[in-house]
Amino acid sequence: MSLKEFVKEKITHNIGLKIIALGLAVITWIYVSGELINR
Amino acid sequence: MTFFIWDIIKPTLEIIILWIVYYRILVFFEGTRAFQVLKGITYLLIVFLVSQILGFDTLNWLLTKFFAISIIALMIIFQQELRQGLARLGQQHLFSFGLEESEIVAIIEEVTMSVYKLSRQKIGCLIAIEREIKLQTYIESGVGLDAKITAELIQSIFTPTTPLHDGGIITRGDRIAAASCLFPLSDNPNFSKIIGTRHRAALGITEQTDAVVVMVSEETGEISVASDGRFIPIVNRERLVNILKSLLVIQPNKKAAKPTESAKQ
Repeated sequence: MSLKEFVKEKITHNIGLKIIALGLAVITWIYVSGELINR
Repeated sequence: MTFFIWDIIKPTLEIIILWIVYYRILVFFEGTRAFQVLKGITYLLIVFLVSQILGFDTLNWLLTKFFAISIIALMIIFQQELRQGLARLGQQHLFSFGLEESEIVAIIEEVTMSVYKLSRQKIGCLIAIEREIKLQTYIESGVGLDAKITAELIQSIFTPTTPLHDGGIITRGDRIAAASCLFPLSDNPNFSKIIGTRHRAALGITEQTDAVVVMVSEETGEISVASDGRFIPIVNRERLVNILKSLLVIQPNKKAAKPTESAKQ
């Protein structure tokens, strides 16, 4: 397995869950930052 | 300037850490019943965030109270998962990746060889091959092995006088994750009285997950493959290999081999 294929495999494996997790992470960060600024 | 760079790096790092945490939680719960609960909570969280943005005070108040109470409820619901998760923390790789086609073909060969030998001796066997949905719950019901898949090992496990022959084995990647695992029994009324417990277990796990099950009937020595809650008839060795290849190598997310209705009576 070449390095390119290895990286591709690593990125594309379980891509759905990775995207959902990233979305949740961004939402959480924005929400919590907003709350902290309000205080 | 240093502060400016740090102001960019800091939130990026925070988001990456949150991403990893969320991803690990999702992977951990994927394929378990708890995943459905987690999905429900995620929907509620989205409703909560939307109500915050739009300023729906009543909904906001209700959900805030609900989340405050539900923390205890969640800890009770996920008691087992939390315990296992904490115990396993740091033991897993962050992003696991699949096997190459040649490795999958080698596994298929080993499985095929073993089931044909067991079939000749009329020894019952039940082999669940994990695909996208994790079978962790079922793995934990058995005896952990983490051994390389070989025809000899599979035969040894299912030899009737051995301690692990009851139940099924679960393979994950190129390893036998566990033996003597308990599978959920199918309660499909179409199969009542016709099939035995082993067949029912093979169907049960394929109804609830995307696993592929290869089994040998103890009574007849007949080999069957179960997928998507249905049996695929096996007429010869070549067909078994082709079906397993189509289910495991080509388009692992789709059911390439069309299960027939033959067993559905």
